[in-house]
Amino acid sequence: MTPNRVQRGSSKKRRVPLALLIVPVVLVAIGVAILLALRGGEGGAIIGGGDEPPPPFDFIVKPATAVPTAPDADEAALSANAERVAQEITPIIDDLYTNAYLDPSNWRHDDYEEVFTAFAPDAAATAEQSLETLTLGATAGDVFDTVDPGKSKLSYQVLLDPDGEPDTAVVSVIFRATAERKNGTYLAIVSEGEFFLGQIDGQEEGWKITAFDVKREDHETHPPSPSASTSASPSA
Amino acid sequence: MSVLPARRRAALLVALVAAWVAGSALGAIQPARRASAAPLFQLEPAHAEYVPVLDGTKPIYILIIGSDARPDQAVESQRADSIHILSINPAEHRAAIVGIPRDSYVEIPGVGQNKINTALFYGGPDLVVQTVEQLTDLKMDYWAMTGFASFEQMVDDVDGLVVDVPFAMNDEASRAFFDPGVQRLDGDNALAFARNRHDLPAGDFGRSENQGRLMVAALAQLKKEFNKDPARMLIWAASFVRNGTTTLALDEVLDLAFTGTAVNANKVENVVFPGGTAMVGGLSVVTLNQETLQKISKDLADDGLLRKANVPPSPNEPLLGG
Repeated sequence: MTPNRVQRGSSKKRRVPLALLIVPVVLVAIGVAILLALRGGEGGAIIGGGDEPPPPFDFIVKPATAVPTAPDADEAALSANAERVAQEITPIIDDLYTNAYLDPSNWRHDDYEEVFTAFAPDAAATAEQSLETLTLGATAGDVFDTVDPGKSKLSYQVLLDPDGEPDTAVVSVIFRATAERKNGTYLAIVSEGEFFLGQIDGQEEGWKITAFDVKREDHETHPPSPSASTSASPSA
Repeated sequence: MSVLPARRRAALLVALVAAWVAGSALGAIQPARRASAAPLFQLEPAHAEYVPVLDGTKPIYILIIGSDARPDQAVESQRADSIHILSINPAEHRAAIVGIPRDSYVEIPGVGQNKINTALFYGGPDLVVQTVEQLTDLKMDYWAMTGFASFEQMVDDVDGLVVDVPFAMNDEASRAFFDPGVQRLDGDNALAFARNRHDLPAGDFGRSENQGRLMVAALAQLKKEFNKDPARMLIWAASFVRNGTTTLALDEVLDLAFTGTAVNANKVENVVFPGGTAMVGGLSVVTLNQETLQKISKDLADDGLLRKANVPPSPNEPLLGG
């Protein structure tokens, strides 16, 4: 008697030992665990969010210069106001460059959205079109292993209105970093330029970039000396 | 198609999974070799720029008034030595300058017929604006004014103006002593250049053109300095606000300054309303050529620009060599 389809199916199920189904699952689990253990700290995100944090970075800030519009301005008061503006804006520029060049979770994944929050709406539209100049670049994750910040400087000129209140600040930036390529060579990243910042009406976030003029002049370089900078990669 | 026995199929599955796991683990232990074929990612020098220039289609008219107030006098209550309409077409990043001779005999609202320069004395810059608006039918958006001392200071604040002096000047009254050619004028010399009329063939007409020439020079210099060092913009804006009197707010000054950096100064038309001289009640006055005045005013009203066909001859033409 030939068994029907139902009978054939049920007889086959009975012939597969339970162990043969469990073993592959266990092996897969072990494999994943080994991978996580061995590669987890190296920046190769296997299961989301595995990028190392950005290296600590702060610009060196020169004393701010006040540019008064009142004929008989109190220079000491104006200088104090200009310094206050510099203190308010410096973290914004620190974050801008950290997000644009140093944070692996941005440059490894071509995710520079945070960079453009520093810009006023009109300027942001142009900045986004200039991504390759204002950030490490869309393909940086394919090319670089690590990016280390170098000596970078900010200087400020602050335009004060006739009442002595800050109106516009121009930040002159020189940013330097060294990026190690996956092929073992090094690139010196140099971003230099000016950012105009103003307090945009209706925006409570504070200072925003309203105009900019930035150059990128990268060049080949040698591996940095061990004490020259802080590494962006714990394993480097 | 042959069917493998269930045990053999299960064994094959286990073998495949084991191979995958082993391969993955091995890959993790021995990192992939450095990608020698990775792109070098050598950026060429690159540049990113955003300048918030005005781009509206409506022309902007600014009346620029030079008061003859001396250092100890209030600029608002003297006479206007120079009167110019600065007309800007933001969309096209172009501009025109039209000088109105100070002795132009015109109707001053509430005062009657008189020299246009007295409007400042009778009613301050607002009355000058009303007079010019009535004369040209152009609505001034803003006015800005300087006096002798503040003009000098403004020029000195930007380290002088580079001016192409078009012809030799030798005028004792204004102390304008210049050889022709490109030179940097400090505040004192820029004022002398702006005031000289005695050795010009058309007197105040030629002087008004030279005053416009200083404005064009300032525009060219602002652009040049901004391109070299954008922060210079603040020095210019601050000097303008500090030394001038104006209805422009500081942010509007910056907006116009940014817009000015996009204007090609070489293409700015610098003209003077033409006319002749006459005596009225013992006064030597300028009678404007009404036909040309109307033509220029209507042309400016259109888009803020002046067509070549409506550009009158330079009052300094005899000295310009053609």
